[in-house]
Amino acid sequence: MAVNTPQRFARDFWPYFNRIVASVIVLTQLITTIIIAGSLYMLGYAEENLPVFAGILIAQAVLGIIGSLIIARVLARPIHDLLAAIIHVSGEPTTTTPPNPNDSRFAKSGFKDVLQTIYELASDDKQPTQPVVTAPEPGTIVESNLPAHATPTTMLEAALDETVCGFVVMDHDRKITFSNKAAPINIDQNGVAMLSLIFNGQETLDVWLDDCDKNAVHAEHTWQRIGNKLPEEEGRRIFDVMASYDKGAASEVVLTLIDRTGLYSVGEQDLDFIAFAAHELRGPITVIRGYLDVLEDELKDVLKDDQHELFRRLTVSANRLSGYINNILNTSRYDRRHLRVHLVETSVTDVYDVIRDDMDLRASAQHRLLAVTIPGDLPNIAGDPASLSEVFGNLIDNAIKYSNEGGAINVSAEQKGDTVEIAIEDHGIGMPSSVIGNLFQKFYRSHRSRETVAGTGIGLYISKAIVESHGGTIAVRSEEGRGSTFIVSLPTYQSVADKLKAGDNSNEGLIEQNSGWIKNHSMYRG
Amino acid sequence: MAIKTILIIEDDRFIGEMYVRSIKKAGYDIDWMVDGNDGLIAARNKVYDLILLDVMLPERRGTDILDALRGGKEDLIPHTKVLVLTNFEQDDESRMAMEKRADGYLIKAEITPSKLLSVIAQLDQPTA
Repeated sequence: MAVNTPQRFARDFWPYFNRIVASVIVLTQLITTIIIAGSLYMLGYAEENLPVFAGILIAQAVLGIIGSLIIARVLARPIHDLLAAIIHVSGEPTTTTPPNPNDSRFAKSGFKDVLQTIYELASDDKQPTQPVVTAPEPGTIVESNLPAHATPTTMLEAALDETVCGFVVMDHDRKITFSNKAAPINIDQNGVAMLSLIFNGQETLDVWLDDCDKNAVHAEHTWQRIGNKLPEEEGRRIFDVMASYDKGAASEVVLTLIDRTGLYSVGEQDLDFIAFAAHELRGPITVIRGYLDVLEDELKDVLKDDQHELFRRLTVSANRLSGYINNILNTSRYDRRHLRVHLVETSVTDVYDVIRDDMDLRASAQHRLLAVTIPGDLPNIAGDPASLSEVFGNLIDNAIKYSNEGGAINVSAEQKGDTVEIAIEDHGIGMPSSVIGNLFQKFYRSHRSRETVAGTGIGLYISKAIVESHGGTIAVRSEEGRGSTFIVSLPTYQSVADKLKAGDNSNEGLIEQNSGWIKNHSMYRG
Repeated sequence: MAIKTILIIEDDRFIGEMYVRSIKKAGYDIDWMVDGNDGLIAARNKVYDLILLDVMLPERRGTDILDALRGGKEDLIPHTKVLVLTNFEQDDESRMAMEKRADGYLIKAEITPSKLLSVIAQLDQPTA
C-alpha cells in the first residue's frame, strides 16, 4: 500500500491483497515444513527411509498451501464483495459487475442486508435532501435485477433538481404528480401543490388544456414571458413555458419552464424607460396642441382659407402624435400587467363623442368620407370610455391610413345578443389572408405597408388587449384591394351588471378571466 | 355658484401662460403660482372658485397640496373645486386617491385650452 504511484484505484487493492495473502501462505507453509523437517531429521526419523520422509514432507507442504489458499479464499470472499460494491458506488471505472444483493447466496447468508446498506448509504449521500423519498426505492426494485442505487427514477430526479429549468408533470386530473426544485410551485392551505404562474390575457394553461381535452391527442404549446408573481413582488421569475400534452398517458401534461428572468427583466426596464419617455413627450405636445388652439382662434379673422387648412393639418398631426403616445404608454402598462380598465355603464355614442371632433377633423383633413351611424336604441355597454375611445381612434386611424383619398369609412353599431358590435369599415387596400393571422401581434407591420404607410405596429396589439380586458373580442374581415372591416364586440352592461355590482358596487378592477368574471382586487391584469 | 376666480398652480412657463391667456380671455379672474408652496399658501389665503392643480411641482407636489387642503378631517376649501391637470403617469393608487379628492382629473396632452374652458363650464353646471 505504501507504493507511490501517480493514481491509485480502490480496484487495485484486490490483486495486491491476493498477492500478499498468497505469499504469506506459501511462506508460512514452507517455514513450517522446514521446521518440521529439521526437527524430525534431528530426532533421526529421516535415516530409515529418506525418500518416504521427503515425500511426506513435500505432500504436507503442498496440501497445506492448497488448504490454506482455500480457507483464505472463503474468508476473503465477503471482503471481495464489499470491495466490489464500494468500487461500484465510488464510480470508478471497472469491468466487474457489482454484487447483486438479490443473489440467492446473499439472501441465504444474510449478506444481502450489508450490500443494501452500502447502496442505500450511497444513494442517500447523493440526495441529502430527499432521503425519505429514495429509501423505499431499493425495496421496490428487489424484483428487478438492477442494483438499487442506480434506479433511473432517483438518478433522474436528482439530476432534474440540479437544473435551472423547471419541470412539472400532471396527471389527467391536472394534479401535479412531479415537480423539480426549479419549478414555480406553491402549496396551498390543503397541502395541494399548485402551479404559480400568471398567464397573460386569456390564453392560460387551463384554457389550452380544456381545448386539448376536447380536441387533441398530442399537442404542444409555448408561452413566453410568463411571470410567477406580479411585477412589483420580490423574487419574481419570468419563464418561457413549454407544455406537451399526451392524452391518456400517466403523465398527461409535461411542462418545461425555462427561466428567462435575466433576459426579460431587462425588457421590463426598457418598458419603464418607454413610460418615462412618453411622459416627457407629453409636455411639448401639450404646448403644441394648446398654442395651435389659441392661435387658430385668435387668428381666425386674419387667416386665408388655405392657411386654415395648414392649421388643421398641424392640429391633426399633433392629435395623432398624442394618440400614439397613449398607445405606447398603454402597451408598456399592459406588458407589465398594469393596464387598468375602469368599467362603467356607458354607451357607444358617449364613447365616440370623446373622439368625434378629432376624428372628423382627421378624416376631412385627409379627404376621407367618415360616416358614423350609431343607433339611438343601442343597449348600454360596460366599458372604460377613455380606453375604448383609443381603440376606436386606432381603428379609424388605420382605416384612414390604409385607404385612398376620397374613400368612404363607415362606422356602425348593432346589438348581437348580449353584445354590441361596432364595425369600422374601409374601402381601401385591404390585405391578404396571410397577413391577418399576425395582425394583432406587437410590432407587426405587413411587409407592404412598411414602405408606404407610417406606423408603430402597436395600435392593433393594444386595441386587442383593451377590448379583451373588457371581456370583448376584436375580429377582422378583409379582402385584398377591396378593403377591411374591423369588428369590436363588447358585452352589454345588462349582461355583466351583476358581476360588476358583486365587486363592492365599484366599477373598477372587474376583469373577465376564462369563463367567469372575477373581481381583480389589486387592479392588475393577469 | 358660478366660477369666477381661478388659481392655477403650474410650473411650466409655456403651459402656464397658455392657460392663463385663454382663461383670462374667457373672462375669468386667474392667479398663477409656479411652485407648490406658493400655491398652497395662495389657496389658503383666498377663496377661489376653482383650482387647477399640476402634480409634478417644485417644492411641494400636487398630491401633497391636495392632501393638505382636503386630506384632513375638515375640508379646508369647501367652496372651491379642484381640477387636476397633469402629464405625469401616476401609479394607479395615487391617481385614484387624487381622483377621489378632486372634481376632475385631466391629462394635459389630451386637452387644449378651449377644451379646458368647456370642462370648466361643465363644472359650473351640476351644482348650480
